[in-house]
Amino acid sequence: MKNAFRFSAVLGAIVLALVLAGHGPASAGQAPQADADLVTGDACTSILVGRDASTDGSTMTTHTCDCGTCDWTWRHVPAADHKPGSTRKIYHVSQYKTWPPAEGLKWDIYKKDFAGLEIPEVAHTYAYHHGMFGYMNEKQVAIGESTIGCQRKLQNPTPSARLDLTMLTLLAMERAATAREAIQVIGSLAEKYGYGFHDDGEMLAIADPKEVWMFEIMPVGPLWTPDGGKPGAVWCAQRVPDDEVSVCPNESRIGEIDLEKKDFFMASPNVVSLAVDMGFYDPKSGKPFNWKKAYSPAEGSAVSTQGRRSRMWRFYDLVAPSKEFKPETPNMDFPFSVKPDRKISVQDVMAMTRDKSQGTIFDPVLGIRGGPFQNPHYYKGTRLISVPNVEYTTLTQCRSWLPDPVGGIVWIALGVQDTSCYIPFYAGATEMPKSFALGDHFVFSRDSARWAFDYVDFHVQVAYNAAIEDVKAAQKEWEDGAVTRIVEIDRLAGDLYKRSPKEAVKYVTGYSLNNAQNVVAAWWKLGDDLLVKYNHLSLYNAQKRQRGRIPSADPAWWIKAVRAFDILTEPDKK
Amino acid sequence: MNKRILLVLAAGAVLGLSLLPAGQAVPKAGLPVLTTSAGQSTDVTTLNIVLDEAVIAYDYCDVPTPEMVADGVGLGGRESGPGFHVEITTDLDKYPAGTPYKAVIFAIGASLKGMGASGLTLDAEEARLKKLIALCKQKKIFVMAVHIGGESKRGPAGSDNERMIDAVAPLADYIVVTKDSNKDGRFTKLAAAGKIPITEIEYALGLVDIVKQVLQ
Repeated sequence: MKNAFRFSAVLGAIVLALVLAGHGPASAGQAPQADADLVTGDACTSILVGRDASTDGSTMTTHTCDCGTCDWTWRHVPAADHKPGSTRKIYHVSQYKTWPPAEGLKWDIYKKDFAGLEIPEVAHTYAYHHGMFGYMNEKQVAIGESTIGCQRKLQNPTPSARLDLTMLTLLAMERAATAREAIQVIGSLAEKYGYGFHDDGEMLAIADPKEVWMFEIMPVGPLWTPDGGKPGAVWCAQRVPDDEVSVCPNESRIGEIDLEKKDFFMASPNVVSLAVDMGFYDPKSGKPFNWKKAYSPAEGSAVSTQGRRSRMWRFYDLVAPSKEFKPETPNMDFPFSVKPDRKISVQDVMAMTRDKSQGTIFDPVLGIRGGPFQNPHYYKGTRLISVPNVEYTTLTQCRSWLPDPVGGIVWIALGVQDTSCYIPFYAGATEMPKSFALGDHFVFSRDSARWAFDYVDFHVQVAYNAAIEDVKAAQKEWEDGAVTRIVEIDRLAGDLYKRSPKEAVKYVTGYSLNNAQNVVAAWWKLGDDLLVKYNHLSLYNAQKRQRGRIPSADPAWWIKAVRAFDILTEPDKK
Repeated sequence: MNKRILLVLAAGAVLGLSLLPAGQAVPKAGLPVLTTSAGQSTDVTTLNIVLDEAVIAYDYCDVPTPEMVADGVGLGGRESGPGFHVEITTDLDKYPAGTPYKAVIFAIGASLKGMGASGLTLDAEEARLKKLIALCKQKKIFVMAVHIGGESKRGPAGSDNERMIDAVAPLADYIVVTKDSNKDGRFTKLAAAGKIPITEIEYALGLVDIVKQVLQ
């Protein structure tokens, strides 16, 4: 009872504090409460932008690799020629499995988990950059990802499914020169050799310089065998119209399909028949077949799920506010894609990946939730696009007016988006920095680039609303600087390419590596500076050698809230 | 070789049955049956789908206690709640609530995520399984251990998966494993040591025919 009383008192105190404060840091409206267990169940967000929806004509995809304990390392895989009759070994790759750094790197160790399958190798495999998935190859084929889940009966965690999602994306990078080819590579291999094992319902955003496709794939159940004569996966792909944008926030997005429209839909041969066989769709119902309703239904809206599924509404509201999308609208009723109110730049997309629903009913610093320093990570409320447990975020750009090695860029932000910096790597780059291939969550390492960004992020948490301004200044210098500089790098590399493609590749490799090295060094220094500047929750001015007070510390509303809390939790002392 | 022999051999390759000593048939247990997990991985979902495919009705509980199993069909009327799942599909006309189970099938495979969702630690899961199997032995309930997750549900000695195997397989009355799960022969050795019948199958599909033979 005592605990119950104290709990009620705490709740009451919060309400009273808001009333007393009157003017909290954000409008203290009715904020939904979220089930923390549900919130942590969700993972990555992926944004898709058609070429005519972007300011510069590039197609874009993103992947916020939200996990918290996963591998964050990157590597470059060079192009290769293969002798006739050679084979490609297939390995099981868990998105979540990691090893202590002392045992080696994930992208070496995973080869111990041979899936017992070797498939015919192609004559030539393309070069590509990969992290958790393959993201960009030298032909400007780009990928983003979001897990969407599937009907329980479809899951196939048994060894009959030889292919996991990660391996399929690597194969697509190696074998595809266009988005459509990538879809066919992934779809056909999954059908033939079985998909699932570590993964189930998944979405891949697959792009090339001309098109962006939403590709969704599911296993076909644990009783599938390669000898049964049926496909070992079911998949469907829908193209995002060139002048529109879309998003996948961990839920299936493809609804009704029209396979007659070959430029907009592709699917496995069992796309409808499996749903009928499994009892997910009844053709006699008189309703058209609906992919997401059959294979991955997810009821609810942003509001009805207490914000757990608010990313769908938030994205659509960000890109097309004129449409006045409602957070009460069931997510499955949102359109597949939408024409944005204005064309979207690469920096707009970067900002969207950093979005924390500021100014909405899902604002994480609404009322007193963020504490005195307005920290959006203190209160485990609704599921936002930007969450603190992200490994890295990718933003791919494919640009048709440039040669492939120059046209493709994967921007990588290691660590949490709001305190990180997007670093560009050209598709033609033949190396990635060694520091990007190192590190894990459990052993701090100054040799690992990712730790530089966590180092900054950690120090920002102390006095968030003050320290984030220091980070924004650094982002302006290094990230905005790169966006500006890319125009000139493109021009020089493009000119060079006309004379010597090899020299152009060398040039974009050099730029990518040098810039990355400089940004990582700048972030280590920024972390050091933040430690000194906000040490002891004070404000140390290194130049003037003075100690002062953080201007945003102890705001009046916070002091009132603390007093209100004291009054309500210690009634006997009144 | 005629077509029929080829078909029989092909079916054998899918269904396995290779490790049963010559002349030894698949053990019989009968119904009603309870399915459960040893380690809270999703392999128990596969097991339930196998039973659905075999058209065998069953009771399912992810974390039954000895008391629940002792209550027989219907698990004493217990219902699903947070971190606890019950599914009763047993034909209650044929096997009324309270009818003692003839068999319990354990799908072995450790998942820290699954155990976490059920509020269990590895130690707690291991202790629960030992008590559960002790009750089965006491009540003469047939214990069938199934490992169909392949190498991904295996690990070095003492690892989560191996502890789940050690908790169940040596005490089972019958073991069924996929070839991929038994690459190192661990289950074969366990079976030999305990004189337990064992069947190796290629794919989970092979389990469909086996559960029909064991339970019907």
